[in-house]
Formats: sequence, structure tokens, C-alpha cells
Amino acid sequence: MIALYSIWGYYARWTARWPALAAFVPFIPLIAIWAFLAWLEIFPRVFLPGPIDVVEKAWELLYKGILTDYLADSLARLAVGAAAGMAIAIPLGVFVGLNKKAHDFSWPILLFFQAIGDIAWLPILLVWFGFGLTTMTFVIVYTVLFPVVLNTVLGMRSVKPDLRRAAQSLGASPARILFEVTLPGALPNIITGLRNGLGYGWRALIAAEIIVGTSGIGFLMFDARRAGSVEEIVVGMIVLGVLWYIVDSWLLAPIERATGQRWGLVTAR
Amino acid sequence: MKSLALENLSKTYFDPYRGIQHTAIKDVSLKVNEGDFVAVVGPSGCGKSTILNMIAGFVPITGGRILVDGREVKGPGPDRGVVFQSHALFPWKTVTENVTFGPKMRGVGKAERAKIAEEYLALAGLSHAADKYPAELSGGMQQRVGVVRALANNPDVLLMDEPFASVDAQTRMTLQEELTRIWEERRPTVVFITHDVTEAVFLANRVVVLSKGHVLSEVDIPLERPRSWDKLNEDDQFKALSNKVLQLVRSA
Repeated sequence: MIALYSIWGYYARWTARWPALAAFVPFIPLIAIWAFLAWLEIFPRVFLPGPIDVVEKAWELLYKGILTDYLADSLARLAVGAAAGMAIAIPLGVFVGLNKKAHDFSWPILLFFQAIGDIAWLPILLVWFGFGLTTMTFVIVYTVLFPVVLNTVLGMRSVKPDLRRAAQSLGASPARILFEVTLPGALPNIITGLRNGLGYGWRALIAAEIIVGTSGIGFLMFDARRAGSVEEIVVGMIVLGVLWYIVDSWLLAPIERATGQRWGLVTAR
Repeated sequence: MKSLALENLSKTYFDPYRGIQHTAIKDVSLKVNEGDFVAVVGPSGCGKSTILNMIAGFVPITGGRILVDGREVKGPGPDRGVVFQSHALFPWKTVTENVTFGPKMRGVGKAERAKIAEEYLALAGLSHAADKYPAELSGGMQQRVGVVRALANNPDVLLMDEPFASVDAQTRMTLQEELTRIWEERRPTVVFITHDVTEAVFLANRVVVLSKGHVLSEVDIPLERPRSWDKLNEDDQFKALSNKVLQLVRSA
């Protein structure tokens, strides 16, 4: 018991010094269990490879340049799709958030199309656009669009009326109120929308690549299935998880800390 | 700073649950001279906040009119500065940016704004907090910023809606003394809404007692200035006036 406490004490101290450790250490027992199960060979090695087999495979794919190429393809698709999605979603959200009539009119439509999940569009998109980039981009834009629109509207509506009143009685015009009060007030929600949208978009992309793809991480995994390389599939899965962790904790979380948390609108976790 | 006049002001709401017109304010007339400090007190639900919201232009008037320096009020405007109970500071702006928000909206240049910030932050003893965000300040400090943000825009009339109601008792007394000092220095025209009778008597030149949407009585407060709690706490005239107003409020 005391030993456990002292291990915990060390853990707390080291992670305080290197926060990156806190992201890695929880995986150690998980990897250990995985290695143990693989070592027992309950399943044949080809079905359940151990961690070392997977690391070797990852190294091989990196060395050949396949992993980096496919990763770059997937990330580029996500970036283009997400940028286009945001470029449509934020102005649309602002318009719907500002205009009561537009809100009443578009809300049922937004909810309806939000319910038709991204990959549910794939059959019809394949008919329309074929197996190509257009289909994949459409799916990502679609997935990013709805969470961002809905959260932008929600954010604009959650700005305290007193803030708008204060700005009015300080002489701000409606346009200044939008840019100085309503949009900054909605920003934490917009970021939440982005976070969800990118998360869904990332998943939708992999699904689209499995069905449509000629390259990308989803394609790598599905292609490996054809070749019967379970190691390669597992490499793909690990890359997905690690990449999302990086995007979320190195890109999105710092933005959240610098805005909503700093302003006291969102409580720090 | 300019004068304010309410002429036969009234406000009726449609109550959708009962299907009737509800009268919140009826026939309120009030004159606040330039440089005067008027406090409006009354039990909750007497309509004091509604009156302030109508003067500020936040809610429409249904009868009578409001004149600021002779001009009729048609909606919110920078001629009437407002201090809110909820402080309503912009959370994404620093103290300085909050205080200079009004001047910035009026197109005042950067150098001039820096001077305004310096002057008004010093006035409220906030110079050390210039670059902080509102969430990093105590409740009392937030309210100080709220007061000087309204003052820094140089309004004709300063409207204060229970600004000290949500801070602790000690801080409230300090804020009251600071407001008194600022008023004595600069003589802005102030309408101060509160449910706290001693606060009203301490701050104002005149206390208006409101009851069920109309003016019950007006009480002049001829206490000498400068005022402070040390002087007034045990002052017989202060006690007598507070008692008088309290009796009126309780009968309201």
C-alpha cells in the first residue's frame, strides 16, 4: 500500500515536470496487457501481433515512406475539408444566430441533415461523384459543418443580454456589437463545435478512405486487410489515436486555454 | 453632465398567462437636475429597475416620455451611461480595454484613449490591474471597473442599477465611500436604484420612494459633504432620515 502511494507520488511529481509523460504513462499497463495476451498466443500470432511486431511494421512503413505519404494525404484532406467546412459554417452560424426568422426557418433543416450521418451520404455521393476526392471532401465538409453551425448559433444565443446592453449604452453600433461582443462571447462554443467537427471529420475521413480511397491511413488499413497484414492494420489504428491526441491537445486545447478559460467563460479541467 | 426628466412615464405589459394588461409603472414624473444625485428605493417588484431600463432605452416606453438634456429618449445611447448589478464587463477585454470601450466606439484615437484609461483607472484605484481580465478580479474590483467604464464615456446621466448589491458588506461600504468621493469631485448627474435604504440615504441628495409602480414620496437628504461612514454611522440626522425612508418603504 505504502509502495503504491510512493509510486503515485513519483508519478505526480514527474508529470508535473513533464506534462507529456501524463499522456504516455497511462498506456503502459495497456501495452503490457496487450503484450501478455500476444505472448500467451491464445490467438495465432498473425491474428493478434504483439507490440514489438507492430513497432517493427511501423518502422518498415516509415522507412519505405508509405506511412508518411499516406499520413500527409489524410491530413491534407482533413485540413482542406475542415477549412472549407469552417468557411461555410461560421458565417452561416452567424447569420442564423442573428436572424430570428432565418433561425426558425433553418433549424428543422439543420437538425434533419445533422441526423443523416456522414457515411450515410457515401452511397449517393459515389453515384454522383464516383470514387474520388470530391466525394471525400464532401463528406468531411458535411461532418464539420453541422457541429460548427449549431454551436455557433448556440454560442451567440448564450451571450448575456447585459453585455449587449452595456455595449449599446457605450455607443456601439450593431456591427461593432457583433464583432466586439457577440462573436467573442460565442467563441468558446465555436471552438467546442470545431473540436467536435474535427473529431467527427477525422473519423468520417477514415471511413471514406476505406471505401473510396486510393491513399491515406484508411486506405492503408483496408489494403493491409487484403494483404492479410494485421500488424499494418494495428499501426493504422495507433496512428489515428495518436494523431487525434496531438491535434486536440497541442492545437485545440491551447486555443481554449487562451480564450474561454482565460476569460472565465469556461472552467479549466 | 445634463439634467433628466421623466414626464408621466408609464409601462404596461401584456401578461400572456392571464390574458390581461399588467401595469408596472403608472404616471411617474421625476426631475433630476444637472449634477444631482437621486436614489430610487422601494420593495422588490415596485418597478424601480423597469424605470431604469426605460431611461437607459433597453425596454420600450408605453406612456409619457423621458428627456435627457431636453432630447427625448428613443433607445439606448451613449448619453446615458449604465452600471449593472451583474457588472456586465466584457470578459475578453482587459480592464483598460473595458474602460476605454466607449471612447473607442466614439472614434477616440489610441493616444487619447490611453490618457483616458490612465485618468479613470487612477480615479478608481485600479492602475495596478490595468492589464488584467475581469475574471481575475474580485467582485468589488469588477464593480469599480463597471463604474469607471460608464464614467469614462462622459455620459450626460449616469444610471446605476443596484451596482453594489452582490458584493460583501465591507466591500460595499468601501465602494459607497468611493462613489461618494467621485461624485463630490466630479458632480455627475446620477440615478441610483437600490433596495438598501441606508445606501440610498448615504449616497443621495434626494431619495425617491417607489410603491407599486408610482412615486410614494420624495425625501431630501441635506446631510453635509464630504460624507463617510465614520462620520455618518453614529450621526443622529442620518439615523433619523434612514428611519423616515425605511418607514415609507415598509408602508409601500
